[in-house]
Amino acid sequence: MKIAVLLRQVPDVVEELVIAEDARSLAEDDVMYITNEADEHALEEALVLKARHAARVTAIGVGGEEAKDALAAAIAKGADEAVFVPVPFEHRGDNHRLASVLAPSMKAAGYDLILTGVWAADQLDAGLAGLLGVRLSLPYVGGVVSVAVDAPGTKGTVRKEYPGGRLAVLEVGLPAVLGVQSAEQPPRYVPVSKVAQAKRTLQLTELTEPTVLEMGVRPTKLLKSDPISRAEMLTGDVSQVADQIVRLLRERSLV
Amino acid sequence: MSPESISLELETEGVPSDATNAFLSRILKLPGGDQLLSCIQCGMCSGICPMGYAMDYGPRRMISALRAGRIEDVYRSDAIWLCVACFNCTYRCPVGVPITDRLIAGLREELLGRGVGVPAEMQAAFERTSRYGNPFGESPRKRDAWTKDAGVDVPVLREGDSAEVLWWVGCFGSYNKRNQKDTVALARILDALGVDFGILGSDERCSGDLRCTSQGEEGLFNALYQHNAAELGKRNFKQVLVGDPHAYNALRKEYPRLGTTLSVHHYTQFLADRVSDLARGMKKEITAKVTYHDACCLGRRNGEYEAPRDVLLTIPGIRLVEMPRNRENALCCGGGGGANWLDSFIWQRTRVPLPMQRVQEAAKTGAQVLAISCPLEVPRFEDAIKTSGLEGRLEVREISHMVAEALGLLGGY
Repeated sequence: MKIAVLLRQVPDVVEELVIAEDARSLAEDDVMYITNEADEHALEEALVLKARHAARVTAIGVGGEEAKDALAAAIAKGADEAVFVPVPFEHRGDNHRLASVLAPSMKAAGYDLILTGVWAADQLDAGLAGLLGVRLSLPYVGGVVSVAVDAPGTKGTVRKEYPGGRLAVLEVGLPAVLGVQSAEQPPRYVPVSKVAQAKRTLQLTELTEPTVLEMGVRPTKLLKSDPISRAEMLTGDVSQVADQIVRLLRERSLV
Repeated sequence: MSPESISLELETEGVPSDATNAFLSRILKLPGGDQLLSCIQCGMCSGICPMGYAMDYGPRRMISALRAGRIEDVYRSDAIWLCVACFNCTYRCPVGVPITDRLIAGLREELLGRGVGVPAEMQAAFERTSRYGNPFGESPRKRDAWTKDAGVDVPVLREGDSAEVLWWVGCFGSYNKRNQKDTVALARILDALGVDFGILGSDERCSGDLRCTSQGEEGLFNALYQHNAAELGKRNFKQVLVGDPHAYNALRKEYPRLGTTLSVHHYTQFLADRVSDLARGMKKEITAKVTYHDACCLGRRNGEYEAPRDVLLTIPGIRLVEMPRNRENALCCGGGGGANWLDSFIWQRTRVPLPMQRVQEAAKTGAQVLAISCPLEVPRFEDAIKTSGLEGRLEVREISHMVAEALGLLGGY
């Protein structure tokens, strides 16, 4: 079984997001990147499947140079192969475009399962997994919380959580694209020395962009969101804010 | 048990497993590691261990299992993650086995390296430290944001800059809101003493000691060391002043091992060398009965018991009383060796948190103030005071904060 996992680099919100002078994008120099959280779960689910089946896991890192670090970490965790897909800064949130970049090579590679996060922190349009499913004419399930594959590798059984506390067990024919919400176990830890070693010996296949690309949406303006007028922002130091929270909870008879 | 499994056990009995051999050959090569072979199985370590009652494998039994070639038995035990790196076992061992730094850390490293994993709380601290250089997941760029409210000039040394004293602020002192009060207090003391000092600012990262050397994340420690050693090398200074005893240990003992030799002083030692200057400036009395909690990393691990007491005794009005367990016998706050990030894991297995035991002991002396010299102890003991019902009776204070008060430096903060 061949499994592909897409790992996107998205802005880390631990650092302040600075709006660039063009007022429609982030200032690139101030952005610190992190692998999209749901994509980390997709990788974990792929590694869980690898432990159960004789699967080969290909990690596909999307973004700038930082994606190579994410690929080294993926190899250290147990992925078998690393593919780097450089995407120019201004296009990273455009999933229509990204799906068109990825689709030809993914079709050629013939993966049985393509896993990625159901959602990415910086996406401008629909989820990447669904768009890839359409482009590859493959079935797609999103919001997946676990994956099982039958012995011949022709059918997947996935769990998907619905609002209202309902969980569906769905059958999906393989190959398929899955948008992972969370893996069935938390993403594993890999010691820094192993990541460093993987970084030193990392062998990357680099994907060049196809010449004909579909453009999706593009932002015309980027600005700070205004707090909703009905929202009351608490201000002051820690103890003042704590006092206000206690007062509010008491007023509403919540404690 | 089937006859086959019995014969299998007989055949393998006494034959060290490959994993045991691999572990021993690695540990024996590390400084002091060969002392492991000198263990006389006296059991002092397991007896003195404050968590020993909750361990199925105490240090003595761990070594015994290694000798029997059965490291796998130790892997299956939770005991490895119950160690709070208090160094009681190391201190008491009659043959000098570095139990905490080599045995426990080595076993943790094995568990990490073999993908057995690490308790989830600890994993988050590792990941954040690796990514952001601090265990809280705070912005590395905001490491020196506290200096804005310091009320005195806190110079950030850039590449090529010089100062007499390089002040290593540390993660807790830089980011934790409560610890920042004590950091500002120390900044004002340095300013008042006219010390030529500076900090690394956002170029400083976790020293690596607390979560790594005794946690088994040696690779992370090396990465942090490489970064910090390079940054230290870009500045000129005569000595390093450290607030956190864990960083003090790393800079004093571990960094030289890797090639960076520094003259390192804990802030209480720095102030103890200047008690006459301090005494002249101390106009305000602090009328209180005070007991001092010896930080494990300053006391048992580095042999400094007197400097913090000397500084406290300089403060007018203070009456210093000792807890029954003081100096080398001090009870650990339970936060060392990464245990600060294993509180629920440890609580589930022990149910009597060490900081609660300690604040009750402090309260019994009749002291109103529990003076401390390690930033971890502030949040740990303050929480314990609340859960022990001692609020209003016992106050936790960093020595720097008390000194600054006596010097009249706390105005406007």
